[in-house]
Amino acid sequence: MAIVAMTRLNKLYDGGGEPAVTDLSLTVTDGEFMVLLGPSGCGKSSVLRMIAGLEPITSGEVAIDGKIVNEVPAKDRDIAMVFQSYALYPHMDVFNNLAFGLRRRGVAKAEIERRVQGAASKLGLLPFLKRKPHALSGGQRQRVALGRAIVREPKVFLFDEPLSNLDAALRVSTRNELIRQQRELGITAIYVTHDQIEAMTMGHRICIMNKGEVIQIGKPLEVYRNPANIFVARFLGNPPMNLIPTSIQAEGGGWQLRVGGASLPADCWPSEALSRLGSQALLGIRPEDLYETASPPGDRRLVAMARAGVIAVEPLGAETLIVLSLEGVAEEVIARAGRETRLRPGDNAAIELDLAAAHLFDPTTGQVVPRIHDEREARWAKAE
Amino acid sequence: MTERAPCGRAAKRFPPGGLDARRASRATLIILLAPALLLYAAFMLYPVLRTFWNSVHTIKPNNVPAFVGLDNFRELLGHDWVFWKAVGNTAIFAIVATIADVLGGLLLALALFSGAPFVRFLRVVWFTPVLMSYVVVGIIWVWIYDYDWGLANVILRAIGLGSLEQSWLGDPHTALWSVMATHIWKWLGFNMIIFLAALYALPADVLGAAELDNCGWFAKLIHIIIPMLRPTILNLTVLSFVGKMMIFDLVWIMTGGGPLWSTETVSTYVYKRAFDWNTFDLGYPSAIAVLWFLIILAFIFGLTQIMRQRDRLEF
Amino acid sequence: MNPLSAAKPFAGKSVAYPRRAPLAAFALIYTIVSGGPFLWVAMMSLRTTPEIFASPYALPSSIHWEKFVDAWTKSNYGTYFWNSTIVVVTAVALLTIIGAMVAHCLARYRFRGNRVVRFIVLSGLILPPQLMILSLFQILLEYRLYNTLTGLIIVYVAGHLAITVYILEGFFAQIPQDLFDAARLDGYSDLEIFWRITLPIGVPALFTTVTLNFIILWNEFLYAVVLLTEDDKRTLPLGIMHFMGNHQLDVGMVATGLMIAIGPVILLYAFFSETMIKGMTAGAVR
Repeated sequence: MAIVAMTRLNKLYDGGGEPAVTDLSLTVTDGEFMVLLGPSGCGKSSVLRMIAGLEPITSGEVAIDGKIVNEVPAKDRDIAMVFQSYALYPHMDVFNNLAFGLRRRGVAKAEIERRVQGAASKLGLLPFLKRKPHALSGGQRQRVALGRAIVREPKVFLFDEPLSNLDAALRVSTRNELIRQQRELGITAIYVTHDQIEAMTMGHRICIMNKGEVIQIGKPLEVYRNPANIFVARFLGNPPMNLIPTSIQAEGGGWQLRVGGASLPADCWPSEALSRLGSQALLGIRPEDLYETASPPGDRRLVAMARAGVIAVEPLGAETLIVLSLEGVAEEVIARAGRETRLRPGDNAAIELDLAAAHLFDPTTGQVVPRIHDEREARWAKAE
Repeated sequence: MTERAPCGRAAKRFPPGGLDARRASRATLIILLAPALLLYAAFMLYPVLRTFWNSVHTIKPNNVPAFVGLDNFRELLGHDWVFWKAVGNTAIFAIVATIADVLGGLLLALALFSGAPFVRFLRVVWFTPVLMSYVVVGIIWVWIYDYDWGLANVILRAIGLGSLEQSWLGDPHTALWSVMATHIWKWLGFNMIIFLAALYALPADVLGAAELDNCGWFAKLIHIIIPMLRPTILNLTVLSFVGKMMIFDLVWIMTGGGPLWSTETVSTYVYKRAFDWNTFDLGYPSAIAVLWFLIILAFIFGLTQIMRQRDRLEF
Repeated sequence: MNPLSAAKPFAGKSVAYPRRAPLAAFALIYTIVSGGPFLWVAMMSLRTTPEIFASPYALPSSIHWEKFVDAWTKSNYGTYFWNSTIVVVTAVALLTIIGAMVAHCLARYRFRGNRVVRFIVLSGLILPPQLMILSLFQILLEYRLYNTLTGLIIVYVAGHLAITVYILEGFFAQIPQDLFDAARLDGYSDLEIFWRITLPIGVPALFTTVTLNFIILWNEFLYAVVLLTEDDKRTLPLGIMHFMGNHQLDVGMVATGLMIAIGPVILLYAFFSETMIKGMTAGAVR
């Protein structure tokens, strides 16, 4: 159990090139499950390896429980890591794979036996203790890798995309298994993934990275609902958030957003921010916040109408995706409807946008324009 | 566990190496590399340098080595007809035996690949000569070539071609070719195995596609298989050629370079000049060795250069 | 190993094959050509020289096992055999451990001088023995290692390090780095990792180099003929050549000697043919 604090961490690999990690600061609290999420090559694995002590730190500090560990070798940091490839020792059976890390640390034989048996029974590995890794299924191997971390009873767990080699069904069950183990043991965990579903479901908090920098840190839903910039807006959510070019116009003392032919009220955003933007902006709205009917929940004041042509209808079973073309807008827009929809390709429809869930982005910086704090947002914040 | 201080100190002494998974402490590297590097320095590099040094000296037992500049090389290139005879023999050997090895190996591999029965058994038997020492192979073939009771003449007499019987190793006209035949016999199996591995690695889809394109067995061989094997063919050619440039053992065992220098190779000549002749000079044979090494080196570079340009084949 | 089951994998591979009968005939002929001479020597090794000269290609009428005892004791083959065994076993053991140490460093660690070490060690792949043999003769004389088995062992180890490292490094480099990271997190030092991870996982590759080095050194002739001249130091290939030189006409006894020399190789080949074929060709396939 430990607090892991990173301060202005930088990583430059030999041979130059772009820095892998730039000025990263992040504190993971005791018992927390922190997910580092980002596309491949964003530097998340480098961060993990620096915490583990497998990669030298170019500059900045990593501290565990307040003690700076920059110069402490990996083996003395009391950290256990689960690798993407599992890194099981192919020449040892499951028991020895689990025991290997304990033997070197001078743990008594009886204690090793007790811990290995404990972990094995917890993970359902008891029948396989005498098997070698090549005789195990993918899911069993994954559990051995997890067990190897658990028996160590370390201060910190590190996970490097541990589920990416499993098939879809196994991934869901293992995900839940992993969450349960971590919550039960209460050991601080840092988990690297590029899979947003894993991030959303597993993390107490997620830290979104891109090109070596931290973009946003927060609770999963918070980040999902309030992306800090265009990158997060597009990266989280499937299908991603719609970004519609819009022009801002002052009309009769208020501000209006013009989306193609439609005109939407912009009173959710402070007027000084709108005037600073100039005339162009991007309106971000998630597919689930577009409605084909006129009955969105909540405050009618925040709903706007637009006319759209239906390009395609994609029934996915549990939901239906509707590809729309808004009048006067080049980009296609995707709306998420329920199981059934009356719309057919070629139809014209009136689409409603839930402006309470919409975001305005500055097209030059990519940053979000903060909204006026309203009642509805306050209600959400309380519900978290 | 956290107070295992020595590790911490070691890490400080070599920062930041101790923390990089791809780095090892200097002590580790020294322990792991020192034995090999010391052996190498004393018994590979030093001898090589010393041979170069020898090549510009005259070195006789109980005498101080005398510096002679490039005299050894001048003598060698200008006046030593035995050397040129050896170069000629070695060149014939290297060229003919290489071609025979590569083509023969390919032929054997194709025979197995195209469904000869008992494939596994055959490849094991056909590979046997590769495992045998030159001494064993050489002596067996000296007997096979024996004029009176050797198998070669026995067979000729048996099929009524007694007029063709020869003293195979005793006649300067046939000795080199006879030794060469033995050498080819010994190494065919090696080339066969390499070709067989390459053949099995060919993508079955492409072979299948060729059949759909109405390619017969022979057309498939010429238009598909051989072009796709080209990297292997070139690789084996270089390996085989360079090996034969250095040929010593088999010649030494079967003929000792005779009769009348008809099988003298560069390597046997080096040995003779160093240890058999009464010149007792190590400088002159060293000069031969150096010159020949440089020529081999040039061949290796030349041939690998050709390979590098050509062997980009996408499967 | 079962020859009957061997033809199957290829049957389905393709349809357009040449006719089977000529192919089988060719296979039979080459089998006789490649294997026949060894059978012939095996038969001669059990016959006396007068019997052989009476009819060189006959089957043994009575089997003379005692010829092997004679060869071993009276003709000094016993000494040659033990010399060969000592030299080859020691050299192969040293080559394996020293070569694995170097290969582990080159495959696993980035360090200053990495390229230099690699170049130096692998340069041995293209240095012909002829280039070193004359000065090695001088050097071993100076170090008083001439005419000693120790000297020959050292020369063998130095000379075959390159191919050993070349093969092992290729294999070691394929072991996933994660395993080493995991072991490091588990608290193991670099040397322990070499001992407990690299070596056990590398067993197949070690097997390959052991086979390759064993066969090549067991058969080695050039270094031995230059560096050993005393009769009780000779290795088997030298011993047979020496015996052949002195008793050219005693074909029967030479044949027995040949069988003693190829015996261990044939015995191993009978059990590990696949491994040995892989070992001998390991340096040539990439």
